[in-house]
Amino acid sequence: MTTEVARGEARFSGLARALREPWPDRRTERVLAGVSSLVLVTIAGMVLFVFVKAWPSFSHNGLSWFGSGGNVDQQLGDIFNSPANPDHYVYKLRAWPLLYGTFITTAGAVILGTVISVLSAIFLVEFAPRRVRAVMGPVVRLLAAVPSVIYGLIGILVIVPFVGNHLISSGRKESVINVVQLTGASLIVAVLILTVMITPIMVAIVSDALRSVPRGWTEGAAALGANRWRIMWTVSVRAVRPAIVAAAVLATARALGEAIMLSMVSGSVGFAPNPVDGITFFFEPTRPLAATIVDNADGLSVEPFGQTLYAFAALLLLSAMALSLAGWAAKQPLKRYGIGV
Amino acid sequence: MRIRFIALCTGLLILAAPAAAQAKSTITLSGSTSVTPLASKLAKAYVKTKRGKVGFKILQGGSDIGVSDVARGRVTLGMSSRDPLPTDPGGLRFSRIARDGVCIATNAGNGIADMSQDTVQAIFSGRIRNWSDVPGAGKSGAIDLVVRNPASGTQDAFQNIFMGQNLRVSSSASQRPSNGRVQQAIASNPNAIGYVDFAFTKGLHTVSYKGIACSLRNAKSGQYGGVRSFWLVSRGAPTGAAAAWIKWIKSAKARRIIAQNWVPIK
Amino acid sequence: MEVRGAQSSKSWPLVDRIALWACWAAGMLLLAAAAAIVIYMGIRGIQYLRPEQIFSSPQADLDQSKSGGFLDPLIGTFILTVLGTLLAAPLGVAIAVWLVEYGRPFGLARLVESGVEVVAGTPSIVLAIFGLILFSNGAFKILSFQAEGGSVFGRSFLVAGVMMSLIALPLVVGGTREALQAIPRHVREASYALGKTRGATIRRVLLPAARPGIATGTALGMGRIAGDTAVVVILLGATQQLSSFDGAPWPFSTLRGTGSTLTSYVFNNSPAGEGNAPDKAYAAAFVLLGIVVFLNFAVDTIVRRRGAPAWSE
Repeated sequence: MTTEVARGEARFSGLARALREPWPDRRTERVLAGVSSLVLVTIAGMVLFVFVKAWPSFSHNGLSWFGSGGNVDQQLGDIFNSPANPDHYVYKLRAWPLLYGTFITTAGAVILGTVISVLSAIFLVEFAPRRVRAVMGPVVRLLAAVPSVIYGLIGILVIVPFVGNHLISSGRKESVINVVQLTGASLIVAVLILTVMITPIMVAIVSDALRSVPRGWTEGAAALGANRWRIMWTVSVRAVRPAIVAAAVLATARALGEAIMLSMVSGSVGFAPNPVDGITFFFEPTRPLAATIVDNADGLSVEPFGQTLYAFAALLLLSAMALSLAGWAAKQPLKRYGIGV
Repeated sequence: MRIRFIALCTGLLILAAPAAAQAKSTITLSGSTSVTPLASKLAKAYVKTKRGKVGFKILQGGSDIGVSDVARGRVTLGMSSRDPLPTDPGGLRFSRIARDGVCIATNAGNGIADMSQDTVQAIFSGRIRNWSDVPGAGKSGAIDLVVRNPASGTQDAFQNIFMGQNLRVSSSASQRPSNGRVQQAIASNPNAIGYVDFAFTKGLHTVSYKGIACSLRNAKSGQYGGVRSFWLVSRGAPTGAAAAWIKWIKSAKARRIIAQNWVPIK
Repeated sequence: MEVRGAQSSKSWPLVDRIALWACWAAGMLLLAAAAAIVIYMGIRGIQYLRPEQIFSSPQADLDQSKSGGFLDPLIGTFILTVLGTLLAAPLGVAIAVWLVEYGRPFGLARLVESGVEVVAGTPSIVLAIFGLILFSNGAFKILSFQAEGGSVFGRSFLVAGVMMSLIALPLVVGGTREALQAIPRHVREASYALGKTRGATIRRVLLPAARPGIATGTALGMGRIAGDTAVVVILLGATQQLSSFDGAPWPFSTLRGTGSTLTSYVFNNSPAGEGNAPDKAYAAAFVLLGIVVFLNFAVDTIVRRRGAPAWSE
């Protein structure tokens, strides 16, 4: 080793040596723990920022923020047109139609999706012929991977015109014309497409869990003379109930957060579909919370309006957090039985 | 050796990140979707003359958003297609750059020839709900109204010029956030009627208002009734690159660009 | 050996047979939905995609025949995906390594684990508007730029890239965790027996062995970034062409500038946006679907071809 190289090495002593030599374990642990805690800092920051921005809307309305009373689109318009003086900002909002729209869209999709997913998972694990089974794995992953804007595109260019032109008769339109206009963009299209979007998530979780049910349990049932369906239903599905719950909870979080597809197909009117209308209930437009934020995103910079939008986001954030934590907690019991999820 | 190389690269990157002497200024605009096509054309032409010393970023959102953004200093200039209102924030300067028309439009299959102000008011306020009640309509069935959302200057213009002070548009009308979306909605719905800026009438049937067709020539001659102004809004008097651009818009070259599809100001 | 109860379903009670048909129906429904999406997008894509669209930039023009193709959105998707992944991958691997190899104190580990799940479940629209609040602040003007008049624009590739990395993060963490947990304990013990520190074991033994899992997680994350629209619509500045900020040298000029991606291009050209050009939307959607499918499938196949690790018997 020549003297020049030795001098060069000495020049970069401190930092270079620390980077080149193997790190002591304690340092590695601390650095990695610090990096991991960044996730918690980010979440805390997000909750803080969004709630601080959203607070004026909640504090001016109190609990009646969640109630109903008046046309929510009109109230949003009034908030938007508030005079420029901060003392005279208008905050009045009764967000019930939006909450209701979010609720029925999400509930409809999750209920429908759970039924279809459990049946499909049983099909995938037990009844599918080998060739079909080999195809279905990639199929489920494909459906999970398709971007939501493509679901929205097919919805708005194919399904919405079909529903609007062929399924909604002129008589039906006239029956509700005083209150709302029926185009094809409606509750039923939103629920159907949302179901297709969340089903793959659930199928993956439930089928994984079904496959991990201990062999002894199913063989015991078979030995007692149960047919394949009975084995599945009374033993396996019963055993993976926590997985089904976890899957449904995660799917609900996904459905709540879906903004782009719903803003394209659900009708863009802050209207609460009325079950009393009978079949027309399914054809009425609505606009879930996430879609409302996307539709009005240009107005984020206008003061009281932006704060109202952040209030919607705060609600979504809170629900998504609660659901994610619930889903994570629901998966924990599965580890006890070695059913790997 | 590797350490030295890595340190050198990192040093270069850290030096490069902060803006060097800012040779180029960026003008940001937001606001009216009606003004946007004109503003984009003028911006592009101006950038060519200035050889890259100026850049533009254009957001939309509607006239009210443009006014609010510029009042709060979020953008350099706001675009507005409605006249200044008493409820606007104080200290704003409106600079008129062009005039433009608002057309009543129906689906291409519904070739209604002419509408009086009374018919327009009756349809848009919800008094008449079916095409069979409208004389001259090529369709029957429920009328689907397509209008703009509250942020829109075109909506303000429509309200002031066509509806007057006392009547309001029906609350069951379907709202859209931009001219393009209204155009889209009317084009895909045979029973629809709405109002759009003159530049967005392609594929739709434009209805004559009070006997005068909605065309550029009629707007220029002053015969067509539904004409409103386009404004660029600044906080106080415009300064710097923004002022230079607004001055350029009054030049002959800019007026030629404006005259292609809009009405230049005398 | 599979468990088979009564072999033929003909002997089953009616209720069970109906249930069997229901299962078949559900499975076929999923297959049909996937086939319908792929076939329909394929038909429309072939119908509307012209090769010159991939190489020409979009022009703002009300006349569709002059409005160009989607080169800039394509580049935008590429830039954003790379940026988001570059930020998410090291962070995700670090978090997964800490969770699997260390994980003390237990309370913190549980918190971080549930934190990653919370980030996974957060709607991307909420992440987007959080990014807007955060990066419109003057302290972050280095990430976007400051317009005439003094306001920080708060929208750029860098800003969108940072939020996109949050979207990809949980997938990288999940993939790395699975891969690390699959490595048997004796590999680690052998490494310690040879005198290596924990850090060196992780760096030289475990991570290289976990590479397929990390690659899968990263590829899934890239797929999600490429397919996300909400963050792009809010944080990328909505200019059709790549529009750089000329106050800084390349590459920071492009990264601090604005642009669009395939997802926002499809959204804007659909009836939900301004463009009123469904044929362009179909063409771009076809390309987007191809990219996403590639990221989700082909990478997995490539990775799987590496063969079994040395310690599996």
